[in-house]
Amino acid sequence: MAEKRITYPKSDHIKKLQMIDITKRFPGVLANDRVNLEVNEGEILALLGENGAGKSTLMKQLYGLYTPDSGQILINGKEVVFHSPTDAINAGIGMIHQHFMLVSNLTVVENVALGLKSSRAPFLDLKVVERRMMDICDTYNLKLDPKRYIWELAVGEQQRVEIVKALYRGADLLILDEPTAVLTPQEVDEFFVILKKMAEAMHSLIFISHKLNEVIEISDRVTVLRDGCSVGSVKNENITKTDLAEKMVGRPVVLQYDRSPLNRREVRLKVEDLYVPNDWDEDKVCGVSLEIHGGEILGLAGVSGNGQRELAQALSGLRAASKGKIYLDGVDVTKAAPYEHNLAGQSYIPEERNKEGIIKDFVITENFILEDHDKEPYSKNSIFNFKNIDRETQRAVDAFAVKTPNLKTMVKNLSGGNVQKLILARELSRKPRVLIAAQPTRGVDIGASEYIHLRLLEQRDLGMATLLISEDLDEIRALSDRIAVIFDGRIVGIVDGPSATSEMLGLMMAGVPLEEAQQKK
Amino acid sequence: MDNLFNPETIFGIIGMAVTLAMPYLYAAIGELFDQTAGCYNLGTEGIMMMGAFSAFYVVYETGNLGFGVLAAAIVGLLMGLIMAVISVTFKAEQGISGIGLTMFGVGLSSLLFKTLLNGTVLSVKGFKSIRIPILGDIPYIGDAFFNHNIMVYVAYLLIPIASIILYKTTLGLKIRAVGQNPQAADTLGVSVNKIRYLCVCGGAILAGIAGATFSIANINMFQEKMTNGTGYIAVALVYFSGWKPWRVLLGALLFSFVNALQLRMQVLGINIPSDIAMMMPYLLTIVTLIFVKSRDKPAALAVPYERSEN
Amino acid sequence: MLKKNSIVVLFIIAILAMAALPVAAADDVFQVAMIMPSKINDYSFSQSMYEALKVLESTFPEGGFELVYSEDMFNVADAREAIRDYADMGYDLVIAHGSQYGTSLQEIAPDYPETAFAWGNGTEFYGQPNISVYQARAEQGGYVFGQVAAKYTNNGKLGVCGPVESGDAKTYIDGFKNGASEAGSPVSVTYTSSFSDVSLMSAAAQTHMDEGATLLTGTSQSIPGAVSVVKENNGIWMGVQWDTIPLAPENVLVSLVYDWSPILNDIVSNMKEGSFGGRAYDLTFKDGGLKFVWNTENMEIDPELIAMADDLAAKITAGEISPLPAQ
Repeated sequence: MAEKRITYPKSDHIKKLQMIDITKRFPGVLANDRVNLEVNEGEILALLGENGAGKSTLMKQLYGLYTPDSGQILINGKEVVFHSPTDAINAGIGMIHQHFMLVSNLTVVENVALGLKSSRAPFLDLKVVERRMMDICDTYNLKLDPKRYIWELAVGEQQRVEIVKALYRGADLLILDEPTAVLTPQEVDEFFVILKKMAEAMHSLIFISHKLNEVIEISDRVTVLRDGCSVGSVKNENITKTDLAEKMVGRPVVLQYDRSPLNRREVRLKVEDLYVPNDWDEDKVCGVSLEIHGGEILGLAGVSGNGQRELAQALSGLRAASKGKIYLDGVDVTKAAPYEHNLAGQSYIPEERNKEGIIKDFVITENFILEDHDKEPYSKNSIFNFKNIDRETQRAVDAFAVKTPNLKTMVKNLSGGNVQKLILARELSRKPRVLIAAQPTRGVDIGASEYIHLRLLEQRDLGMATLLISEDLDEIRALSDRIAVIFDGRIVGIVDGPSATSEMLGLMMAGVPLEEAQQKK
Repeated sequence: MDNLFNPETIFGIIGMAVTLAMPYLYAAIGELFDQTAGCYNLGTEGIMMMGAFSAFYVVYETGNLGFGVLAAAIVGLLMGLIMAVISVTFKAEQGISGIGLTMFGVGLSSLLFKTLLNGTVLSVKGFKSIRIPILGDIPYIGDAFFNHNIMVYVAYLLIPIASIILYKTTLGLKIRAVGQNPQAADTLGVSVNKIRYLCVCGGAILAGIAGATFSIANINMFQEKMTNGTGYIAVALVYFSGWKPWRVLLGALLFSFVNALQLRMQVLGINIPSDIAMMMPYLLTIVTLIFVKSRDKPAALAVPYERSEN
Repeated sequence: MLKKNSIVVLFIIAILAMAALPVAAADDVFQVAMIMPSKINDYSFSQSMYEALKVLESTFPEGGFELVYSEDMFNVADAREAIRDYADMGYDLVIAHGSQYGTSLQEIAPDYPETAFAWGNGTEFYGQPNISVYQARAEQGGYVFGQVAAKYTNNGKLGVCGPVESGDAKTYIDGFKNGASEAGSPVSVTYTSSFSDVSLMSAAAQTHMDEGATLLTGTSQSIPGAVSVVKENNGIWMGVQWDTIPLAPENVLVSLVYDWSPILNDIVSNMKEGSFGGRAYDLTFKDGGLKFVWNTENMEIDPELIAMADDLAAKITAGEISPLPAQ
């Protein structure tokens, strides 16, 4: 079969895209307020801003998922109106969403073929799609196996599928929504190579991020959004992280923490040769042993999907271990239920905070007392004491700077950062001796991250034992006294926090054993 | 027990199972399309009753079996449209609206039966068995598998057809994507609502025909509530199948085989309490459901799609 | 949200509206209400009583008799409400035509001493002066049919399609088995555990015929499924409870018909004399409650066969034959 008739209603190559005075309002929120943005062919534009600054909303309008209330989108100087993603795709725009838009029980090639016209309609032409897809992969040096299912792929690979999907559809301009959030440092490097290659091939790229060093490393120009407004667009020449952070947050930000010296106490949490299965009864944690002392933060670094989720759930009693032991202050809690962990002085900040951490349709006070609602001072003889509840919640909300109109606001109306601060406030006000914190600042803006980090360090100094599970190496390195690296359910090695380099950690995260990683360094 | 294990009896049971499985196949394949696209149609039973009545009535009036099937299909389509409007456009809770549709269908078919046919049990000439040349002459096997009416053959043809549509066509890819991750499909320009309408209506057409098999291709009469829960069993079979057409066939045959077997055991005087015998197929279904564990369960099943989510 | 809910609500209202039956009652009319688990045209138990009431109606002057009925009262709780409503509305005679309604009557009857209640199939009137209880002695008919079937098929295989192993279905089937095996015919019995599963009933009939039975019988409102199989396979059917000849004029040899008229007449005449119940009735050959309807119109039937049936019925009445095997 020859390469035949895979035709796309191809418009002109995008030389220049402009968004002018874009305004978009949602009930109660002005998400974009007269935002301007411009990108040229072959250029990488970084769109920088905190969570809730309106970056995603702006890009969804460019991709036809929303229509702007007012303002114009111009391609090569001509106005365009997108009513749906199809319109945007036809105009040569592709988008890679932060949460991948992949169908997990379809194969790579099926995901690429989805929605395309087939050369032998109504039947699928997966062979043709596969061949063309591999051509694209070769051009941009993307490694992919077209026959594998999405659920079998690592996150980095899934991202490549998204890129191929967009390129296959002839995207000239690619919107990348927080693309590095889920990648290892090595993967980020590879990814940047791909981006540069695409830019060389005269693609335009809009790179949404809140990670300052990445923005400085990759972009040609930076546009900063704050509270729905564009606060500036600068060429990437001689700009510093501090400048950008200040522009983004609107006030000076601390980027490096002063840590008090380690004051190690007795072992609080001990894990022995632990095996934990996933939902399909395959062991995702395979023989992990760890010891965490009071007064220390142990960082668990690793690419997502290497068993962190299962480990965190097992440690908090949400998932049964198939083998091994967990000791909390010397007591065997392997088979303990979550509430028993709570009673034993352990707190848990779950990775999926909206599913496991809070109840979205409950108000702040209700969420605050979830774990201890049946104890004094919140209730007595099963009757709530609303005065106490309100007082304690107010105190915690003030202490942790949760931004909310009032205590009776439903949690689903809070921003991600504030939800996380609320969870942290709840868990830390229980004065736990052990804290399992899974991705505590994922999707949280710099201001809130900074705040959360400071509180975790404060508790460390007070003697709490913390297991910090994170895919953000900067965070791990900034907070941890020791760093354990997990790969494929096993601990590859444990290194001293302050002396670990991100290069070495990156190698270990790819499964290279400690000694080898040290030699390579 | 000896009289059970001779080829004539065993193939007799199989032949009956092949016939008994027919309505389950139509209804379950229809439901399979619904569910693969993320819609959950508990209205199947009601659609089947309407299909059973309309097919019967048309055949009774015209004597033309083709018109009967067509009538069942059209009535199925209309009922499917109702379901689609409720569950796709208005995004109502699908379980409740499906049960509502069943009550509506069962009630309306009874009402029509009373008004149009005076509530009298009548019979028609239904589809006749066709012995397939050569294959039908194989001893035992011929009778069991190749001596049925056309509606039975079509029911079995539905399995490969459904399999091809779902796994070999662009439409099938869209259907699977819409049921699994409607947002992803939407971002690629697949109209989630259009696909869901198509599947709900297509599924309902098959459910209508499933009803028709009762009244014009097997029992050849009409009585109120004659489908007697088949629609619900069909929904269960879809779960049983793990959303795979071939396993729908397996489930339908297994269920029907156990049913045919227990009847035969009663006739042969093998002493098992009749209530236990009757429970066997249902018990088997429940037990197997416990062990069904599938990555292929449409993740967006029964979840209405709304684009505005952030 | 409002839109979605209102559609569901509309559905429910529409269905409820179909079920509602407003009834007005007058005083100088003899008013009868009947509650039944199936329908008035089920070719079986419910139809037998309905037709008897129609006969009763014809004995009243024009406009002097009013009959209302509630069909599909399979759910006992619903039936109880219906019985109470009819009693409340002042119906003279309330017939609870289903064995499952006994306890409801026991509870309701004392509250309405001016109303006569009748209940069947049952055996007990709970000592209530306003409950009459009636019961079909189906085993008598079953025994005769068993003998007839054996003779008609020259001791061929016989099949019985039953619904649930209880009530008069079971007594009929036990009588049939006894009669047939005394006459030397092998009988196989299936129960489908459902009164309404037409499809399974037809599968049961098919299985009987696959195993070589040429003559089938059975009860419940799902028997049309079985009769249709008998018709397709040119078999013979013997009907019970009501005349099934119209279902398959070429295939139904005979039907055992329940004629409740003698019992109804007795209840009504007692009512006129001020006695509202406290009696138990058996439907037997003796007073013409159990009747044969032979399909002589469409089939050639040996008069000897008919004579034999009548003779057996007489012997049962005389107590010379016991239709059920000794315990």
